[in-house]
Parts: sequence; C-alpha cells; structure tokens
Amino acid sequence: MSAPAPIAAPRTGTALGIGAAGIALTAVGVFVSGLEKAATSWLIALTFWIGIGIGMLLLVMIHHIFDAGWSTVIRRQYEHALAAFKWLALLFVPLLLLAWLQPGLIWGWMNLATPLHDGHGTVGTDVLYLKKSGFLNRDMFTGCTAAFFGIWIGLSYFFRRNSFSQDGDGDVKWTLSNRKFAAAGLPLTALSLTFAIIFWVKSLEYHWFSTMYGVWFFAGCMRAALSTGVIIMVWLWNRGDYRGILNNNHLHCIGQLMLSFTVFWAYVTFSQYFLIWNANVPEETFWYNLREMNNSDGQPNQWKWVGLTLLFGHFFLPFLLLLWYPLKLSKKWIPRVGAWIIFIFFLDLCYNIMPAFKDHHGDPEPFLQPGLLWTLAATAGIGGVCVWAYLRSFATTKLIPIRDPRIVESLTHHEANAP
Amino acid sequence: MGAHLADHPAPAILAEVQPASLPRKELVHHGRDFHWITEKICGIVEGPTPTWWWWCFGVAAFVASFTVAGLTYLVGTGVGVWGHANPVNWAWDIVNFVFWIGIGHAGTLISAILCLLRQKWRTSINRASEAMTIFAVACAAIFPVFHVGRIWMAWYLFPIPNSNYIWQNFRSPLEWDVFAVSTYGTVSVLFWYIGLIPDLGTLRDRFFTVGRIWRARIYGFFAMGWRGSNRHWSNYEMAYLILAGISTPLVLSVHTIVSFDFAVSLLPGWHTTIFPPYFVAGAIFSGFGMVMTLMLPLRAIFRLEDLITQYHIDNMCKITLATGTMVGYAYSIEFFIAWYGSNPYEGFAFINRAFGHYAWAYWIMVTCNVITPQFFWFKAVRQNTTLVWCLAIMVNVGMWFERFVIIVTSLARDFLPSSWGYYSPSVVEIFTFFGTFGVFSFLFLLFIRFVPIMPMSEVKAVTAAADPHGPHPH
Repeated sequence: MSAPAPIAAPRTGTALGIGAAGIALTAVGVFVSGLEKAATSWLIALTFWIGIGIGMLLLVMIHHIFDAGWSTVIRRQYEHALAAFKWLALLFVPLLLLAWLQPGLIWGWMNLATPLHDGHGTVGTDVLYLKKSGFLNRDMFTGCTAAFFGIWIGLSYFFRRNSFSQDGDGDVKWTLSNRKFAAAGLPLTALSLTFAIIFWVKSLEYHWFSTMYGVWFFAGCMRAALSTGVIIMVWLWNRGDYRGILNNNHLHCIGQLMLSFTVFWAYVTFSQYFLIWNANVPEETFWYNLREMNNSDGQPNQWKWVGLTLLFGHFFLPFLLLLWYPLKLSKKWIPRVGAWIIFIFFLDLCYNIMPAFKDHHGDPEPFLQPGLLWTLAATAGIGGVCVWAYLRSFATTKLIPIRDPRIVESLTHHEANAP
Repeated sequence: MGAHLADHPAPAILAEVQPASLPRKELVHHGRDFHWITEKICGIVEGPTPTWWWWCFGVAAFVASFTVAGLTYLVGTGVGVWGHANPVNWAWDIVNFVFWIGIGHAGTLISAILCLLRQKWRTSINRASEAMTIFAVACAAIFPVFHVGRIWMAWYLFPIPNSNYIWQNFRSPLEWDVFAVSTYGTVSVLFWYIGLIPDLGTLRDRFFTVGRIWRARIYGFFAMGWRGSNRHWSNYEMAYLILAGISTPLVLSVHTIVSFDFAVSLLPGWHTTIFPPYFVAGAIFSGFGMVMTLMLPLRAIFRLEDLITQYHIDNMCKITLATGTMVGYAYSIEFFIAWYGSNPYEGFAFINRAFGHYAWAYWIMVTCNVITPQFFWFKAVRQNTTLVWCLAIMVNVGMWFERFVIIVTSLARDFLPSSWGYYSPSVVEIFTFFGTFGVFSFLFLLFIRFVPIMPMSEVKAVTAAADPHGPHPH
C-alpha cells in the first residue's frame, strides 16, 4: 500500500475573514435598522453558536462518563470545537455592555421604566416582575452569565488539555481525570444551560414560565452538535484526513443518535405544547397565542407558519429520513440532513426570541423582515470566529487521540460489537 | 449509496497509534466457561427446593393474603372503606399504582434500551429485571381496577360496544393509561418470553436426559420446539431486536402518560410541563432501586459473584446516581419555577409541600431520592454490597413518598381553603398495599424457582471464551 499524499492544513484565514465581514455587516445593521434589531440578531446568533458548543461539550462528557469506545476518533473534533468558548464569551460582552448602558433595550425587565405591552403601567409597577426581581436583575444576569462561561470555558480547558497531553505521554491518568471532570461537569452544565436559556431567552417574556424550557434547549443543543459533528466528519473524510479512520459504523451510530435526539426534541416540545394547550391557562397560553393567532389587524401571523415548519421540518422530515438505514451511511446525504437540522435549530431559536419584540400594536415583529439580514450576518460572523477557533486548534494537535486507551476500539468499530 | 468509507488507504497517523493501557472490566470473573455457566444457572432450577425458599414463599403468601383480604372487603363493602374523603379523593390507590408501574420500568430499560445501546453488562441482570417488570405491572394494575368500585364492570374501561352505548372518555389520561399499561404489560411479557425460549429448550433437554419426563414435557411445551438451529437463532435475534425497538418508545410513553394523569389538570403542583421526562427519570430511578434490592440478595444466596460482578453493581449504582440527580434537578426546577412564575397558588403548593402538614413526607422524599444516591459517588460505598442494598431500599421508600407528596399534598390543600383536609389511609388501604409486596415476592419466588434467572446464551456471549480473539472454551 503506497503512502497517501500529505494533506494540506485547512486555511484559517478564510474563516476569520468571513467572521470579520459578518460582524462588520451586523455593525452596519446598527445604523440601518437600529440598535435593538442588531442586538436581537446578535443574541440569536450567539445563542445558536453557544448551543452548538454546549452540545459538543455534553457529547465529550457523555463519551467519557460512558467510557465509550466507538466515538474516540470523533471526540477529538468536538474537543477542537470547544476552543470557541472563550471567543464566544468575548463576543457576549457587547450584550452585557448593552445591558448596562442601554438597559431595557433587549431584556425589557432591565429598565423599570419600560412600558408593559398591554399599556397598563411599567415594569417597575408590574407585580409579576417585582416578585421575581431578586432573580431577574442586571447584577444576577451579569454574574450568572460570567459564571456560565466560566463553567464552560473551564471544563473545555481541562478536557482539551488532558486529551492533548495524552497524545504526548500516553498516560492513562488523563483519561481517568477526564472521566472525573465529566462526572462533575454534567450536572454543572445541565444547570448552567438551563439558567442561561432562562436568563437570555425565556426572560425576554418574563411573564411566561415553563419547567421544560431547559430540557428543550438541551435537546436542541444535542441535535445541533451531533449534526455539526457529522458535517465535520464527512468534510474530513472528503479532504482525505479521515479516510481509513472513519467507517460506516461510526456514521451509523451518529445517525442513530441524531434520530434519537430528533425524537427526544419532539417529545419535549410536544409535551410542553400539549400540557399548556390542554390546561388553557392564559398566563401560559399567551406565549403560544402570540405565535399562532392573527395580528391585531386581522392579518395572519407569520410565526404560525414558522411553528408549522418546526413541527414538520424539525421532527417529521428528519425523523423519516433518519429512519432510513442507507441514508445514515451516505456521506452525501447525512451531512445534508445535518445541515437541515442545524438550520431548523436556528429557526427554532428565532421562533423563541424574535416574537418577544413587538410593534406599537403589541403584535410580534414578523419573521420575514429586512432585519433578518442582520441575524444572518451575525450568525455568519460569529460562526466564522467559531470555525476559525476550531481550525486553529485543529492545526496544533494530532488528528485523532493516538494514545487514548480506546482508540483501537474506535478504529475497528464494527457492528459485530453488538451483544 | 456510496462506497464503504473504510475502503481507503490508511493514513500515516495510524502508524502512530499506541493506546495507553486501560483494560475493560471482565463481565464474567474467573474465566468461567460455557459449561460452568449452564450448570450454575440450570442448577438453581434443577436442584432440590431450598428450605429458605419455602420459608420465604410461605411468608410471601401470607403477606399477599393481606391484599386478597383487603380487596375482598372492598368489593364486599365499597370503595368507601379506603380513606378517601374530600378533598383527597385520590390517594394511596394512585400512589401505589404509580409506584409499582415505575418499578417496572427498569426491567424494560435494561432489556430494551441497554440492548439498543449495546451495553453488554446488562446480560447478567436483564432476565430477573424483566420478570420484575411483569410482576410490578401486575401489582400496579390491582389499584386502578379495584378503584372502579364495581369490579365486575371494569371491562367498561375498554372501548367495547355495549347495549347502553356508553363510551369511554377518550380525552381522559386515565383512559390512555388503560391502553398504555395493557400494551406495556403485553409487550413486556412477550419480550420476556422470547428471551426465555432458548433457555427453556436447554432445561427441556437436561430434564429429558435425566429422565424427568414430565418436567421435560412442560418446559418443552413452552420452548415451542426450540432446537437451537441456525435458523432458530436468526429468527430469535431478529424478534428480540424488534421487540427491543418496540419496547423502548413504549416504556417512555407509559410513564409519560402516567405523568399526564396529573399534568393535564389545573391543580397547583400537578400542572407543570417537565412532568413527562421527570416521571420517566423517576421511574428508571425507582426501578434500579428495586433491581438492586432483588439482585444483591440473589447474588449472595446463589453465589453468583462471578456473573454479577462488582462492575455490574458499580454500573447500577451509577445509573441510580444519574437518574436520582435528574430527579433532583426536576424537584429544583419545579420549586424555582413555582417561585419564578409568581402564581400565588403554585407558590403555595410548593411551600406547603416543604413546610406544611406533610413536610415530613417531603423531606423523606428529598433525603431518599436526592441525597441517598449521592453516596454512590464513592467507590467505597459501591463496593459495600450491604450498604448498597440499604441505599437501594431507601430509594424504593423515597420514590413511594414522591408519589405521595405529589398527589396528596396538592389535593389536601386545593383552591378552596374551606375544604382543606388531612388525609390518612384506612387500615384496608394499608393492608392492601402491604399485601402487594407479598404478591410481588410470591411471583418472584416462583420465577427464581422455575425459570433460569439469567439468559445463559447471552451471558456466555460476553465471556472471554466467546471472544474470537480471546481464549477458547474448554
């Protein structure tokens, strides 16, 4: 067998260029559509990329806690992606600055003078706000956000350090250490992602509440991370890096996990919707009514169609596709399904965030509007930075964890492993 | 649909692969071979009935008679003999139903979900766990069936056309329970039975060889002509996999629907969106508590340490820890959102749980379900089987109290303060519930006496001898 030709390292400059261009375009949006629109776009984009990062962090921890063998060659790419967390923290700073310099612009409760949408009083006179003001205040928001990033960056640092160090000395202590960090990190991450999504997204409509919300975000993070992962795997295979490393059974297992979390997302989302619909209590249903009922002028609400797209696009379509065994093995189709799930995850976040911003009639801002351009620009911009961080890390270490105790199991992973 | 991804030249990095040494734990200790496993498992069924078994059987039958007596008295008198009174018209009956149904879930988790996840360690405990599932579902079914009062009308629960044109309320989650639990029970029995067939064939042949013809005929009848041919094994494996695929969503749906019994209502403390996954996690938690409660004594009595190893116990403890922590997450989020939601009724329901008349029950629940499993973080605890068994018992106790806290505290302090009350169970209720432990033990004792408690072929498949790269069987 002849030695394969060396493969050129991926170019990081392009990703950074896209990142810079996206961020610059979003900055233009500030002057064209106003600070609120641009900031909302920034929030959606950040939540999207942070969600993918959290999902990858969870996948790394799940790998370690289960002492999994098959996913060892895949784990290394997730570890590279975790390098993006510190940059995501930096990119969150503008939102924190806005919270302090322009309170109430995004999260209305940050300014007690913000008028309520029903026209009766302000946040400061709203008993529903006053009762939860011990939690929903800028100090808590800032401190907790810093703590969330501290947890994610800290865990990412240890997992990456241990894994990369093992490439050098082959010491099994790194694996055992990662297992301990995973055991401690899983509950910490579960709590931090729950409260992060409550602070950043759910509190946009602070009257509304649902105990399922953290679980919903967890499901979305896992789906987006698995989908991003499968795209990376096939990209590396197409480049030639993963030829002879990645086999059909890796793809099959990732496909099965994508299918499982598709069902889990539907289960969680349906349960939340069904229980609120069935109880029909106005203090809960208003959140869905805002997204389903006609606007005050009697015109249809665009969010109704987005909601239906989520139902069919986020569940039925990927569910039916991923049931199909050959599709899970197809390096042509599985990344396309992954890309679709990532797109719908983005749409799901838009569905949760954008209608919280209302016009002077109290109707939600429509989905299709010029401001969507800034959301796409911000997503591309932050995405460029994340991809750049991934590629920078990718270039500095071994392609796969060559000294991991389970690396051979992963390289020889085949279905005969089944009991 | 695309070439096999591995059909390509190996990259240079593979030459650098040099894994650190961290051997996987053995699933069968002391290199036990196929013959030893067959003799060990079959020996439990074939040997003379131990004296302890008769004592336990007698005690179980006696305890079960409490349920028979309680139910007989109830049917002869009326549901009023239970301690229900306004506003608590649902109490131990539904508490006990959810308690037993939850216990059943670990059996399906071990047999179906761990099978799909290719967790080989499940093989030593799946048979007994599946049996546990079936017996727990049987115990659970007693309560709603007898709660209908006129037990001879219980068939009205099923949508069978009748002369009065009475149809069920299909919008009620209690009716969904009927379909969910009966389907679950049926599939669980099928799953258990399919897995038994090869072992029943083995027992048939062994009884025939030693001339115990009647036993051979009975086992032969249930073995359905099993000959162990390649075709039989192929059909068996496929049937097992399909049933695992069916059971997995089924087990999740059953406890989801059980959670809907409460969550679709408007009652504070019941109507909360996290109930479905929270109930499923709690069910798995309680089920593993019961699996350990049963398996650890069996391991000691039948000297099964080579088959149920410390690794198995570690894994069961860790799953209990994980699911207990999930339950703790759900408790915390419920409490937090009750405050965050600022609904005074919801807030009161939770404050009342923690500090009201039933605070004792709430803190027993928290202690047993959230604090107890945290001991499983420690290796020293996991290696002390007596302590593990005690903690597993506490998990069982805690999960019964969880259902009691959810159901009774919300009902006893409902929207109308004028109707508030304090529920206490009647003697009949206590007898009936106490007796179900006898019913369960009675059935489980029959199981361990007449059915192989482990799937021999599956256990053999995870030995070193079955590994084509490992040592060969003797």
